[in-house]
Amino acid sequence: MEREELKSQLKKQIVEFLNLMQVKPEDIKDDEPLFGEGLGLDSIDSIELIVLLNREYGIDIKDPKEGRKVLVDVNTMVDYIEAHRTK
Amino acid sequence: MFYIHDNACISPQRTFPEAESDLEQISEASEGKLFAREPAYDKIPLGVLRRMGKAARMGVGAAMELVTQKPDGIVIGTSEGGLEDCIKFLNQIIEYKEGVLTPTNFVQSTTNAIAAQIGLLSANKGYNCTHAHRGLSFENAMLDAYMLLEEGKKKKYLLGAVDEISAYNYNIERLGGSYKSDPVKGPELYEMHTAGTIAGEGAAMFLVNKSADSAIAHVQDIKTLHTRDVARVATELRAFLTKNEKQMARTSLLISGENGDERVQKYYSACEEVLGPNIPVARYKHISGEYGTANSFALWLATRILQGHPLPAHFYKHAAPVSPVSSILIYNNYKGLQHSFILVTDPQETPYLA
Amino acid sequence: MSRIFVTGMGIVSALGEGKELNRIALMQGNTGIGKTSYLQTRYADLPLGEVKLSTEEILCRLNRKEPGMTRTALLAFLALNESIRDSSLSEQGLGSEQTALIGANTVGGICLTDELYRDSNSSEKGSPYLFSYDCGSVSLFLQSYFKIGGIVSSINTACSSSANAIMYGARLISSGLAGRAIVGGCDSLAKFTINGFNALHILSDEPCRPFDQQRKGLNLGEGAAFLVLEKEELCRGKKIYARVSGYGNSNDAFHASSLSENGEGPFLAMKQALFKAGLEPGEINFINAHGTGTENNDEVESRAMIRLFGTVPPFASTKASTGHTLGAAGAIEAVFSIQNIYHGEFYPGLRFGEPISGIGLIPLTEYLKLETNPNHIMSNSFGFGGNCTSLIFSKV
Repeated sequence: MEREELKSQLKKQIVEFLNLMQVKPEDIKDDEPLFGEGLGLDSIDSIELIVLLNREYGIDIKDPKEGRKVLVDVNTMVDYIEAHRTK
Repeated sequence: MFYIHDNACISPQRTFPEAESDLEQISEASEGKLFAREPAYDKIPLGVLRRMGKAARMGVGAAMELVTQKPDGIVIGTSEGGLEDCIKFLNQIIEYKEGVLTPTNFVQSTTNAIAAQIGLLSANKGYNCTHAHRGLSFENAMLDAYMLLEEGKKKKYLLGAVDEISAYNYNIERLGGSYKSDPVKGPELYEMHTAGTIAGEGAAMFLVNKSADSAIAHVQDIKTLHTRDVARVATELRAFLTKNEKQMARTSLLISGENGDERVQKYYSACEEVLGPNIPVARYKHISGEYGTANSFALWLATRILQGHPLPAHFYKHAAPVSPVSSILIYNNYKGLQHSFILVTDPQETPYLA
Repeated sequence: MSRIFVTGMGIVSALGEGKELNRIALMQGNTGIGKTSYLQTRYADLPLGEVKLSTEEILCRLNRKEPGMTRTALLAFLALNESIRDSSLSEQGLGSEQTALIGANTVGGICLTDELYRDSNSSEKGSPYLFSYDCGSVSLFLQSYFKIGGIVSSINTACSSSANAIMYGARLISSGLAGRAIVGGCDSLAKFTINGFNALHILSDEPCRPFDQQRKGLNLGEGAAFLVLEKEELCRGKKIYARVSGYGNSNDAFHASSLSENGEGPFLAMKQALFKAGLEPGEINFINAHGTGTENNDEVESRAMIRLFGTVPPFASTKASTGHTLGAAGAIEAVFSIQNIYHGEFYPGLRFGEPISGIGLIPLTEYLKLETNPNHIMSNSFGFGGNCTSLIFSKV
């Protein structure tokens, strides 16, 4: 899958998975921080995103600290998916 | 006991916002369920709303109308809390064979998530408690609020109740024989003489304190009991009436929790008999449906009546009251086991002496 | 206002059945945490605090056939039965309108995860447990079994549930709505909670280490405990363990499943309990901490204790021995706190090695027999949704 295609697929999945009612997938910028400022997600969302990576891409992140490095923005997530996906 | 100063109710009928309440035209049950008319919840931030199940939305949505008055604490009754989230999480456990699961449903399924969320959104660090005692959850929350107000006479509290119909609890109750299998239309519910009732849901919230000034209702007394003995219910009602003789002399209305289930009708009939034929009887479960905290809807109705909004004819079993109502007895039982009497009066007619 | 005495106690936990077995285990520094024998789950290898009795064994003790009995209700039955015998309550006493029953639990019958799944999704005949899933089912069973005549409620405020049940019962007596209140809580291990806490990444794969820098999370446990509280006038000639002197509940109002950094909720709950008891912080002899062993709780609770006490009194978390028993925890730890007073001894927190960096608090790690019985013990319970409760028990 092309990187751009993967990005837009991931954005759709994030919006759907976290039920971000006010957000359109295409409005999420690739380098917009997911936590704090930006999308304003919290610690439970970070766990939800780890589940998303598991269910959609077969990626198993066991260590929450590893998760923090991956879940910075859409770019970092896509980098990780490309390197580690098993489906 | 205490005074009600403000209220908000999300129900299957036009009850929200309070100013636009209209009980003339009623929504009928569909397939035995009366679903709440949910508003847009514009006072709940979207970032929070996105995670909420229906019970939380209704409870928090109704509470947001009142928390601007900065209560000193929050007391909620709910028989099941966010059961939908609970079973969604359960389904995940089975579907993913206890694998990688999303925690949101689990966190939201905690019974006290509703009271907690109200506290969180209104930055309320005061007392926060959730009573989850099936058909007497709301009444215990009322007793809790009463005690809080005795302990701190200048304080005010948010008191409320919420329960939801989920596909799951509906299924469990249906398997347990709680619902009628025939379609039900409005007050015909009371004329079918069959087992079972219809399912309902909703949230009712009240702001309560100990001041009669500009109060909309006065909760005079509450009595709860656990029994299946009809005679005992009648005896307890007589004792309740004797204890509150002064107010009862002017009792002008019984709000009865009659729900069309012939198996529990004997309790309602016994209470009517104790009160005698001169007391008009209003019924409401044809518009609220039955749920563990349906009595909170009855209390909301009582506050409406005492504010000078007479109930439309479809509520009345026989005749409507001929004179203005100033004293209301609410009797409810849940599945013939959990009973409560609540006496509510016009706050302006009975100055509180304590 | 009349004083509120504790005249009976009952407990069942992973440490054993009954007050004495629990006490001996705590004195010897034994742990009830280990592999499970009865619970069916993919996570059976995780360290858990299971009660060493099968559901069938407890069912036999009922001496009568009851349909739809869950493990949660059965554990409650054991503890409540012990407490009322300990307090020598008669049938008449139980049936009095003056006798309240306040139970607490968080999972109710959801311990029957698979049955609930079938009952909620199937269109066929239901299981015998249809009306045993909700939180209220436990108190309703206990009320009907023991024919309790006064106010009955069930409280669910997550992990602080039974601390709030004790507080509610004490308030019912203070307000005159009851003369006696049987109060406590229960919970059983369930696939539901194990998977829930696992999904939140706060279950430890090793036996938990409360207040240790290397702590990795909590171990779930199960159990039940009940206290009989009575107003002073009803206690003539009775054995009195302690009195309930203070309680406070506050909402942290920060997050659905974790506590604020400076522990505002825990701080306020402890402060209110001291105020209610009319005590200065320095008068507390020991704190049975909430101490779950999670990264968040232990650090925040430590901060709140330091803020309130300055010099923190001796403290420990008995969850290292019992596991976190959720809806039972507040009541189980109330029993331990009362035993601190009655027997004049403090129980250690297990597996502590290294204080939390930047905090430096060291819990009690050895059993301590005191020369004189302590005057005041505080017991903390904090739950999801930021629900924080602190209780104080005092020597009579």
